[in-house]
Amino acid sequence: MIEAFRLGALGRGGTLWEGVDLSFGEGDVWLVAGPASCGKTLLLRILRGDRRPDAGDVVVGGESLARDGRVAAAFRASAGLVPQSFPPRDIAALRTVGDLFRLSAIAAGAIPAQERARREEELLALVGLSDAPPGPDAPAPPPGGAHAWELESLSLSERARVALAAELLRNPKYLFADTLVANAGSDWSDKLGALFRALAREGRTIVLAERSVPDRWQVVRTGDPAVSGPFSFYRLGVAAPEPKPSDLEWFPDGPGGKEGA
Amino acid sequence: MSARSSWWIDWKLSPGALARETAGRLVLFLVLAACFLALVLSGGVDRFLSRQWAITAVLRLSVPEAEGRGIAAKVAGLPPVESAVYKGPEDAWKEFTAAYPGVEALRAAGGNPLPGYVEIHLRPGRLSEEAVASVAAALRPLPQVDELLTGGKWAPRILRLKRWVNAAFWAAFALLGAAFFMVFAVQEKARAARHAADFAFLAERGASSRGMALRRAAATAFCGGVLALLSLGAAAGGYVLVDSRSTLARSVVGPPPELLAPEALTLLGAFLVSAALLSGAASLIGWRSALSSAK
Repeated sequence: MIEAFRLGALGRGGTLWEGVDLSFGEGDVWLVAGPASCGKTLLLRILRGDRRPDAGDVVVGGESLARDGRVAAAFRASAGLVPQSFPPRDIAALRTVGDLFRLSAIAAGAIPAQERARREEELLALVGLSDAPPGPDAPAPPPGGAHAWELESLSLSERARVALAAELLRNPKYLFADTLVANAGSDWSDKLGALFRALAREGRTIVLAERSVPDRWQVVRTGDPAVSGPFSFYRLGVAAPEPKPSDLEWFPDGPGGKEGA
Repeated sequence: MSARSSWWIDWKLSPGALARETAGRLVLFLVLAACFLALVLSGGVDRFLSRQWAITAVLRLSVPEAEGRGIAAKVAGLPPVESAVYKGPEDAWKEFTAAYPGVEALRAAGGNPLPGYVEIHLRPGRLSEEAVASVAAALRPLPQVDELLTGGKWAPRILRLKRWVNAAFWAAFALLGAAFFMVFAVQEKARAARHAADFAFLAERGASSRGMALRRAAATAFCGGVLALLSLGAAAGGYVLVDSRSTLARSVVGPPPELLAPEALTLLGAFLVSAALLSGAASLIGWRSALSSAK
């Protein structure tokens, strides 16, 4: 469980937001919605332990992320991150999809080669990148399939989806995704909603930051009325619709897998 | 991220580039190992000097051959002495006539005028003024010894010069090692800078930067030790091959079996440990310097 108490953040010469109380349970999909530059990314970074809050504290499993760096590092190891802009500029020039998966596998620890290859294929298929060429006007993909595609050659939507796939390879217990649904495009909105619900039913906690609630998503607005900030919190209905059987076969070991936190 | 997965992280990130880098390092280590073996075996100019320079104990004419051999055997037992060989009057005469042809007629006048002598070579590692003095002190009281030739006033000067030359050889070796260390550090920095974004990616996913730096350094140290071991093996093998085909190397550098002596083995062990430690240090320096450049 991720709990936040009276969180606050400073920025641009003043208080960006303050008084944020949250409690994200296991198996929940949460959506933080708000206009551009309101501090959603900052909130996600603080909740994930990447940055200390200027006020308040984030507690995971009863332990404070701000007070103990080791707790924060252990939490980050079990928490996937799909950043708003991916890949970073300095990593993009040289990296292919295969390189990204390799890096993610290193972060995950030891994954047997065969299992890794199988999961990569499944995840690429899951995010629609197994046989599609990189971009609508791109030439035919080079030998080696999607693994050989250069990240720079991918569209914004494809980058967002491949970043999600690379994070899911690590089998994270928590997933933080920044503007993922918007970047993936409206065609992927429903599919991603279904995917997040399926992941939540496996016990994972998903925290999304978006400018607005994606169309057709069934959400419930929630949150502390005392929150002084520019964003709103929504909870995605996880129970419906029923997942396809294949949705639940990605991680037979459950959240975190054998090495899960 | 598990500790095991970050142990060989550079090999996982860019195996091809690292394999090329390692092959280059092997060549540099081979050069270092060959120089080191030559220095350990030869002791700088010690081996050459101990072959060229001898203490000569000229015996009296009346000393019989058996007594001369006995003196040589006793002297050979002194700690600094590598060899002590008795040369009888006949051997001395042959050497004399070989050096000065045309003097054979002298013998007709009254027999062999030359006495026998003992030629003493000191061990290369013990070649010092003190050792010369100790051997001279052991021989001088013997009534059979007529004269002791130890190099006169030149011996101390040569032995002092020898120390400086040896120091210069080791200093040159140290400079070569330092130059290679700089090359390693630059390579490490370039690699750390190349993968800075990868390390940041991993740090964002829970990997400790300090842990990554230390494990990379440990892996590099291990590789450095293995490369040094391979290089020493290859250099020793090469030297054995050269030694089997030419005696010149043995007379200047020394016999390869001496590498198995405890003193030589200790030095070889120090070479391996130093190679490992310096490789690890180069990795840490490269990491720190890449991080400071990134900031």
